[in-house]
Amino acid sequence: MLRHLFKLIWNKKGAHSLLIVEIWASFMVLFGVLSLIVYNVRNYLEPIGFSYAQVWNVGLTNNQDTVEVAAKLERAMQRIRSYPEVASASRMSSNTPFSANQMNNSVTYNKINVLADHYYSDQELSKTIDLPMYSGRWYKESDLVARFIPIVINGKMREKLFLDENPLGKVIKLDDKVSYKVIGTVDNFKAKGEFMSNDPAFFQMIGKDDSWNSNVLIKTKPGTDAEFEARLVKDIAVMLPGWGIEVSYLTETLANRHKLTFVPVAIFLIVSGFLLTNVALGLFGVLNLSISRRKNEIGLRRAMGATEAKITFQFLGEIWVLATLSMVVGLLFAVQFPIMKVFDIESSIYIIAILAAVAVIYLIVTLCAWFPSKQASRIHPAVALHEE
Amino acid sequence: MIKLQNVEKVYRTSSIETLALNNINLNVKKGEFVSIMGPSGCGKSTLLNIMGLLDVPSKGYIEIDGSKVETYRDKELAHLRNQKLGFIFQSFHLINDLTVIDNVEIPLLYRNSSSKQRRDLAQEALEKVGLSNRTKHFPKQLSGGQKQRVAIARAIVGKPEIILADEPTGNLDSAMGNEILNILQKLNDDGTTIVMVTHDDAMAKRTHRLVRLFDGTQVL
Repeated sequence: MLRHLFKLIWNKKGAHSLLIVEIWASFMVLFGVLSLIVYNVRNYLEPIGFSYAQVWNVGLTNNQDTVEVAAKLERAMQRIRSYPEVASASRMSSNTPFSANQMNNSVTYNKINVLADHYYSDQELSKTIDLPMYSGRWYKESDLVARFIPIVINGKMREKLFLDENPLGKVIKLDDKVSYKVIGTVDNFKAKGEFMSNDPAFFQMIGKDDSWNSNVLIKTKPGTDAEFEARLVKDIAVMLPGWGIEVSYLTETLANRHKLTFVPVAIFLIVSGFLLTNVALGLFGVLNLSISRRKNEIGLRRAMGATEAKITFQFLGEIWVLATLSMVVGLLFAVQFPIMKVFDIESSIYIIAILAAVAVIYLIVTLCAWFPSKQASRIHPAVALHEE
Repeated sequence: MIKLQNVEKVYRTSSIETLALNNINLNVKKGEFVSIMGPSGCGKSTLLNIMGLLDVPSKGYIEIDGSKVETYRDKELAHLRNQKLGFIFQSFHLINDLTVIDNVEIPLLYRNSSSKQRRDLAQEALEKVGLSNRTKHFPKQLSGGQKQRVAIARAIVGKPEIILADEPTGNLDSAMGNEILNILQKLNDDGTTIVMVTHDDAMAKRTHRLVRLFDGTQVL
């Protein structure tokens, strides 16, 4: 029967070509949307790796002040840490969690190259954002005098650079020039938010005379309010005249970050929803027209021994064949994504999206074809054969 | 083979009631070739539809091969149509999007037969009607007579015991009509029971028995 349906549809392919193109386009857009959704959900399910509740980001900008910047930053840090409302504070490079800033470098070990996010911080970062150690330890001030620059790497970098090897004590090269020694590892560090991928990253200690990395992450104690924020800004402004001071909450920065994730998904969903509605209406119309034109055929098939159920199945089957032909063409395009690992995304994400898109298309065409197919099966054979 | 007892058929709409068949009693024996004649609108096709289980009588009952079918459900009726009956229509009812051989295979699609079996049986049926060289043609590429021969091949491909033909020569010229009747007579000689609706006296005379209808009533 399936072969018969394929023949029937194939012999009418010209009449169905527009519908085939429409289903193909819907499949491709749906595949894109679902890839995006599966990618985001998969990321969301992976722990972010650190805590951002009650963490503030204070951005300090020295503007025209170029005198003893490092010392001034150090004094500001001491002042910040002295407040009873502050549980912990850490200096950090401008690529603070959830910010739009990004800095990455190529690191090498045993001829393996990995592009990793590069963060500068002081010894307090792991405490400030509750970033637990997986192995080894976080760096401290005394490490600054060591022969190699001490770094802490995250789980993804450990996995990509060292495979099954223990990374502790291993020396890696940055851009084939600077040598770093791994002294500790953490697990996840998804600095761009819950929906972003867990990329390789490493942390390097800020030097004593560093005047560039002037962001401060402050973990406040519960109950700390805007009054403290105003006092903090006022005090720092007095300490650092002429400097720019900007306070933001990591929870709010994350909310903005989420918008960057949701907006493209929403746009794609609207586009695919529009396309799928078109397909649904198109199918409904085509089937209704087809059934009214094919009453003789329905009567004939009933006379030849088709039951009502088989007539229903035939019309459903024709639509499934049509959807299959469209999706075979779509699959030729879609399978290139997992094969070529487009956008460096795991193949499994594309494969799940392909399967989900196939399921959604079959579901929609079945829902659209069900009612007209049932109608076709209820046509009385004697009446159908009599109509010319 | 086919027995109709006190069969009546009434078509009802909201305002009109039409009596299409009135108290029909008919017994078609195995191997018989029966023709049904009568003026247009006298109920010939309705009678054939009831005999072919495509329609149900308003009163009375029908027996096929000794089985009363009034209690049969859709599935059982479809099975009976598929196994025991073959239909030939005046307007052929071929599916234009399928080739000749695919059209002939249709009844076998509703049986548990393999693709090869279907192909072999369809080929054999087409040979019987002299169209084995047209298997890949589409209906639009055939003449009226050839189309009717394809329809006959489709009717006989499942080797049914009964063939119901509704004016099979109605759309054909007399030469072609004779050719079709020759095929039907050959099938009857081989043991197939045939009931044929016709307007043509000459055709009816070539059958074993004639049943005449007038205004839904059996007059002969």
